[in-house]
Amino acid sequence: MSAATGADGKGSPQAVAVGKRQHVTIDPITRLEGHGKIDIFLDEQGDVERAYLQIPELRGFEVFSLGRPAEEMPQITSRICGVCPTAHHMAGTKALDDLYKVEPTPTGRKIRELVYNAFTLEDHALHVYILGGPDFIVGPQAPAAQRNIVGVVEKVGVEVGKKVISMRRRVRELITYFGGKVIHPVLGLPGGVSKGLAKADLARFQELAKDSLEFALFTQQVFKDIVLKNPDYVNLITSDPYTHRTYYMGLVDAQNKVNFYDGLLRVVDPTGKEYAKFPAQKYRDYIAERTEPWSYIKFCYLKPVGWKGFEEGPESGVYAVAPLARLNASDGMATPRAQAAYEEFFATLGGKPVHHTLATHWARVIEMLQAAETMVALINDPEITSPDIRRLPTAKPSVGIGVVEAPRGTLFHHYETDDNGIITKANLIVATQNNAARIAMSVDKAAKGLIKKGQVSEGLLNMVEMAFRAYDPCFGCATHSLPGNLPLVARLFGPQGDLVREIRRD
Amino acid sequence: MRTLVLGLGNDLLSDDAVGLLAVRQLQREIPPGGGVEVVETGLAGLALLDHFIGFDRALILDSICTGRRAPGTVTEIAPADLHAIEAPSPHFAGLPELLALARRLELPFPTDIRILAIETADPYTLGGGLSPAVEAGLAGLVARAREILAEAAAPAAGAPCAPPAESGHA
Repeated sequence: MSAATGADGKGSPQAVAVGKRQHVTIDPITRLEGHGKIDIFLDEQGDVERAYLQIPELRGFEVFSLGRPAEEMPQITSRICGVCPTAHHMAGTKALDDLYKVEPTPTGRKIRELVYNAFTLEDHALHVYILGGPDFIVGPQAPAAQRNIVGVVEKVGVEVGKKVISMRRRVRELITYFGGKVIHPVLGLPGGVSKGLAKADLARFQELAKDSLEFALFTQQVFKDIVLKNPDYVNLITSDPYTHRTYYMGLVDAQNKVNFYDGLLRVVDPTGKEYAKFPAQKYRDYIAERTEPWSYIKFCYLKPVGWKGFEEGPESGVYAVAPLARLNASDGMATPRAQAAYEEFFATLGGKPVHHTLATHWARVIEMLQAAETMVALINDPEITSPDIRRLPTAKPSVGIGVVEAPRGTLFHHYETDDNGIITKANLIVATQNNAARIAMSVDKAAKGLIKKGQVSEGLLNMVEMAFRAYDPCFGCATHSLPGNLPLVARLFGPQGDLVREIRRD
Repeated sequence: MRTLVLGLGNDLLSDDAVGLLAVRQLQREIPPGGGVEVVETGLAGLALLDHFIGFDRALILDSICTGRRAPGTVTEIAPADLHAIEAPSPHFAGLPELLALARRLELPFPTDIRILAIETADPYTLGGGLSPAVEAGLAGLVARAREILAEAAAPAAGAPCAPPAESGHA
């Protein structure tokens, strides 16, 4: 347990004035409440000195993994998270390729990429319509009662709502066809996949890929009509409280184009210039993690740049991952329609890199296009129905590191084993950890922009939430307790550490 | 009349597994083909939509993490008592949103949904197993689920809309 216990022993966060600086400690029990928690500290003038978002984190992954056969890891890690099981499964499978030093066959790789792009499309669609939708399709100023999925349906129409649900179901059918249950996929094996595509089933998946592309193009139009044609939204996207000049990281292919499944990790600096490019196996040379006394999550930063605090600019090692970062870190998209959208994106928002966090929503729509176009290309590839789906590994295992671009950003799996392939060490870096420092900065900046002289604006919670919602942070990789309720608490502390006000929504 | 019994949770995550363990017990008791389908899932949020479609009635067994009740306490929650969620992440789309969405899109969704939840001590530790309090409460959760299913199977005995009730097991 990395956090200290609150002085009252009852689990409430404690703010203690130390000279003029505030010091906050959190009690472990606050984590068990499952709250997304924002603590906001005010100075003598009632302005924000610092705001924190608390993100719960899973415990015990490494201990849990020790002594297990490495082959189990793609299944086990996919069960950790009810949200992006396919991302964990694929990162784990690629770590096994690396562990056994075996390249998948061309068809094995193409099937993995087909499934992975289908997953990316589906997850992004959910975010655009259901998560981002309430903010941008319904509107950030709309009454809270309308800022939900039903409000989105009212705005885009019932038929579109039905289309979203139907597309999602069909895309999941493809994932299930290859991998069995989404939550317990059995697709990936070192050197390939467990199931090929029967020629008899080709036509229906070709139809699905075609419909997926139409759906992605339709989504792009919805985004343009509702969001980009509204100057208020564009002003909000480009406004200062939602802007940070940081480094960005993402996977790129040999042409420096965005790739969700494979490639080299490319990092660009705040001016957009390439800072580093490296294979996943060297991630330890570039990425370091640090803890803070007020948070359970480890904050990643660029090791060669160093940790300079929660600061932006070229001297600070803070970086971001996820859709906006992927676009910034690349020289373009890998498919034509996505590339056209990419060019429009940067032309509209003032060139590369784009530092506006809320532009992540638009970047996500552009990635949907690439995912769908890639599905079309792969399903029409003559090799996709080849029975040559796996190459058997023969090397002795030792260390395996795999990486994918999860919808929420770069995901690393790192396993070390004995000669029999039994895990002796395991480490995960999930997307939210990569983004954690920038998320913390976003919450702080939004709170500082909104709260003046102790006056909390009515839209505080939603406007501060919007700052981190764009990242789609994963809270504790999904504990399911109760049907999905995640209450949110905002607490304001005075200069003496006294609780001034609590806004609770649960 | 088709009834769904749905266990939610993650069997790797200490107390979060309890909903799954409860439905596994029920699965052994309820014969297939009798109009009651017992399902367990590790999915969350909107992904649950597919599970409900086509059923008339649903009973959900899950863990709950309020921090305000003793671990192991079994609570019945009416769907109307769950708050709509303006969530920071799409996977936290909750049952109220699923219901509202299904209604708006005219999907064939259960009209009678009941939820039993058991308070957890620790839903975050991988491979932790159930905490003693939740382990002790599991039998109460299963017993209450049996009662609800029996009531549903004998509609003449009374209306299915029992008020929310708590039964302490801590």
